[in-house]
Amino acid sequence: MTAGAGSSYIIEGPAMRHQVSRNRRIAVFFLLPAVVMLFVTTIYPMLYAGWLSFRNYDLAKPFIPRIYVGTANYAEVLTSQPFFHALVTTFKLMAMTLSVQLVLGVGMALLVIQKLPGMALARTLLLIPMMISPVIVGLVWLFLYFPELGYLNYFIGLVGFEPVPWITSTKWALTAIAIADIWQWTPFIMMGTAAALQSLPAEPFEAARIDGNSRLDVFLHVTLPQLKPVLISLLFLRAIDAFKIYDIIFVLTKGGPADSTEVISLYIYRQSFTFWRMGVGAAASFVSLVIIVVLITLFFRSMQRSQSAQAR
Amino acid sequence: MSSVILRNVVKRYGQVEVVHGIDLDVDEGEFVVLLGPSGCGKTTTLRMVAGLEDISGGEMQIAGRVVNDVAPKDREIAMVFQNYALYPHMTVRRNMEFALKPQHLAADKVAERIAEASRILGLEPLLERKPSQLSGGQRQRVAMGRAMVRTPKVFLFDEPLSNLDAKLRTQVRLEIAKLHKRLGTTVLYVTHDQIEAMTLADKIVIMKDGHIEQVGSPEEVFARPRNLFVATFIGTPAMNLLPATVGGTASAPVLDADGIQLPAPAALAGKLEHGRKVTIGIRPFDIAIADDDRTGTTHAATIEVVEYLGTEVLINFRLGEHELIAQLPASSRPATGQEALHIAVDASKLHLFDTRTGLAIEP
Amino acid sequence: MSPSAREKLLVYILLAVVLMLFMTPIYLIIVSSLKPAPDMFSRPPAFIFTPTLQHYYDLFTMRPFHLQIMNSLIVAFGSTAFSLFFGTLAAYAISRIRNRWTNQIAFWILSMRMFPPIAVVVPYYIIFQTLGILDTPLALIIVYSTFNIPLTVWLMKGFFDDLPEALEEAAQIDGHGVLATFYYVTLPLTAPGLAVAAVFCFIFSWNEFLFALMLTGSNAQTVTVAVMSFWSSDAVQWGRIMAGSFVILIPGVIFVLTCQRWLVKGLTMGSVKG
Repeated sequence: MTAGAGSSYIIEGPAMRHQVSRNRRIAVFFLLPAVVMLFVTTIYPMLYAGWLSFRNYDLAKPFIPRIYVGTANYAEVLTSQPFFHALVTTFKLMAMTLSVQLVLGVGMALLVIQKLPGMALARTLLLIPMMISPVIVGLVWLFLYFPELGYLNYFIGLVGFEPVPWITSTKWALTAIAIADIWQWTPFIMMGTAAALQSLPAEPFEAARIDGNSRLDVFLHVTLPQLKPVLISLLFLRAIDAFKIYDIIFVLTKGGPADSTEVISLYIYRQSFTFWRMGVGAAASFVSLVIIVVLITLFFRSMQRSQSAQAR
Repeated sequence: MSSVILRNVVKRYGQVEVVHGIDLDVDEGEFVVLLGPSGCGKTTTLRMVAGLEDISGGEMQIAGRVVNDVAPKDREIAMVFQNYALYPHMTVRRNMEFALKPQHLAADKVAERIAEASRILGLEPLLERKPSQLSGGQRQRVAMGRAMVRTPKVFLFDEPLSNLDAKLRTQVRLEIAKLHKRLGTTVLYVTHDQIEAMTLADKIVIMKDGHIEQVGSPEEVFARPRNLFVATFIGTPAMNLLPATVGGTASAPVLDADGIQLPAPAALAGKLEHGRKVTIGIRPFDIAIADDDRTGTTHAATIEVVEYLGTEVLINFRLGEHELIAQLPASSRPATGQEALHIAVDASKLHLFDTRTGLAIEP
Repeated sequence: MSPSAREKLLVYILLAVVLMLFMTPIYLIIVSSLKPAPDMFSRPPAFIFTPTLQHYYDLFTMRPFHLQIMNSLIVAFGSTAFSLFFGTLAAYAISRIRNRWTNQIAFWILSMRMFPPIAVVVPYYIIFQTLGILDTPLALIIVYSTFNIPLTVWLMKGFFDDLPEALEEAAQIDGHGVLATFYYVTLPLTAPGLAVAAVFCFIFSWNEFLFALMLTGSNAQTVTVAVMSFWSSDAVQWGRIMAGSFVILIPGVIFVLTCQRWLVKGLTMGSVKG
């Protein structure tokens, strides 16, 4: 339950009114620095990026004046095939990683909450991938995927399969990235799910034990429904970060081969720092921001609607 | 045939033994209450009967079958938990259906059972609601309904009324009593509330620190408590205790409680050696206000606090060094400002306990 | 009922598989950083080899790696302190005062997370160039706070929400002002939240790559950029990269091993109720 439901002071008489206005002033004092700082560090650059998005800001052609071009950049982005390809690639990657992370994470959580010796240590160790820099994650998986030399193909060969051209083939590159991302972030889902599982009241499960419901039934009909809000929450957080994925791809494939792994962040990077078309890059950023905000809001609203429908 | 039998049942957590070899017989159809303070082992014992805890030693039988290693689901029991244990995301109906699922009954039989339980417990208007939309009392009834539909051999109740407010408690307590009368199924019920025990039980099992202190009907444990613990645990207000030494003669012993002399009950005369240290127990209800003519043995007392409860009055008074409570009908209420009181005690109503062992001295 | 021996065995087998899958890359980093170059990719893999510290030596001699570690530390500590300060104050105001304005600000702060960082690289570059602070730790500190402040707000708001207002009201009835109450009552009781927020801010700043790459040159280069610099167009110098990776790993591992419980609480704040 959340505390702090507005002013907890009962407003009666001039003394209280003075107190309330004093509180307001203190609130301003507390908030103002943060808001100013946030404005400076966030809004201002964003506004600047916005300004760029309406201009013909082409660093490669410094002789062309950086004039206001209206929505030309936006038009270009919205009609460009590479942009939509990047969008699609991003969503493809998100679908791959989130689905596997969900299933694997929940499975691992079920494993890790068992009260057996060594589990606590295992849980701690399994948190490590989350805390590693994505660049390092990229690098170590590059090591494993490295053409000709990487060990992953060696072990695949040992069990009798053909070596896989992980990062050199357009067919496999996205999967390769997905695997690295899944490796890094499944522990997050595992941890959140484990915490949720442990906070569920034990009695309904004991009742099911006494009644004799099968373990599968209990998992599907008692555990999972109660986990749903938590899982949605966790997936939401992951989705936001997954949309912005950058470092791992930069290290592993730089968007290649043949743009097969060019996600939104990399598309923006390419526009801004390879073609030096800052205006277009900025426009693309805003378009993708709008898209993700809209999608997330829709998703959230539909989840909340189904939650409250269930509760009624 | 006994429904539940415990023979020397022990429960250990690691090296710590929390239930020390208890024996218990629950007859078929009996309503047995495990009563005791927190930590006495009553819930642990119940959970062992349920199969939610392993039995560390001894033997347990349910319906004539040894069930030490039998899974809970195969013991033909149903349990009502303190926290209701309802599935929060399922409707009341679904809760009951899910409880019946393992029995693989035909759909119409399932519906029939649910309909009957709902009718008996008044759940019909609640069937499509979720637990979050129900009051505490309603939830507890649903929990009972969910246990009922399984037609078990034994009902287990784990402090089902503890989460309810006082008024609801009396209501649901009544419903449990009615249910038992109607269904006749064996019940094993755990509580720390002696009122629940006294009103519901056929047999009360009083436990303390992992031991059984006394087993008996409500009348027995009230009128003939076997030791000091049971004597003070049962009965509200609690029994008054007075440490005393045996004096007087062998044939007419007198109990000397710091100057207050009380004749010992005739029935116990032979058991009281001179000089023995005993504890006198007097139920507040057995203390009378002496008539004005002061015949017989009366004692002068000073009133400390008078608590008026409408139908009765509790007088907290001081007798010599002792502070006691008397429970009297409201008509005996002393006048305001009255400080002196004369009380009389019928010797035959006195309970005597050996001060050292705490055991009751019985004829 | 305790699980059967067979069930326990199954659990342990699965656990072993999972641990192997997730720990192998880390094992690889450590081991490869100590492997002599010829053994690096040997087939079959050289599980037994003579370890060497050559790569670490190279790491520190071919690059001013100790300076780069310094830079990373300065940036991480600086950004953490900066974000904690502003973020905590903002979170407190948002938690205790619920009105239209604070809700708006809260929503806006939290939706900052959704903006692709790439997009603000250029604006920042230009701004910092104008201010003349490109290639300084200060630049990164400011940039990282764009992400660390919302993170801190998210976390601390949760902790503040959980703290009963009755405690603060009691202090104020005793005569303490809002600031004193905040300092003597609120903060000590939400210290775990501060710890969690600090850890996350630190780790994020320490691990960050993109902005460090774009906004720093040789002066303020951080460890992540330094490690990547061993990957030139002609060769990937694996030994040194692994050595550098190991160094970058260390804070994360330390935090996980020491603050595990808090980390879990922080990460699940808002997802798991209670």
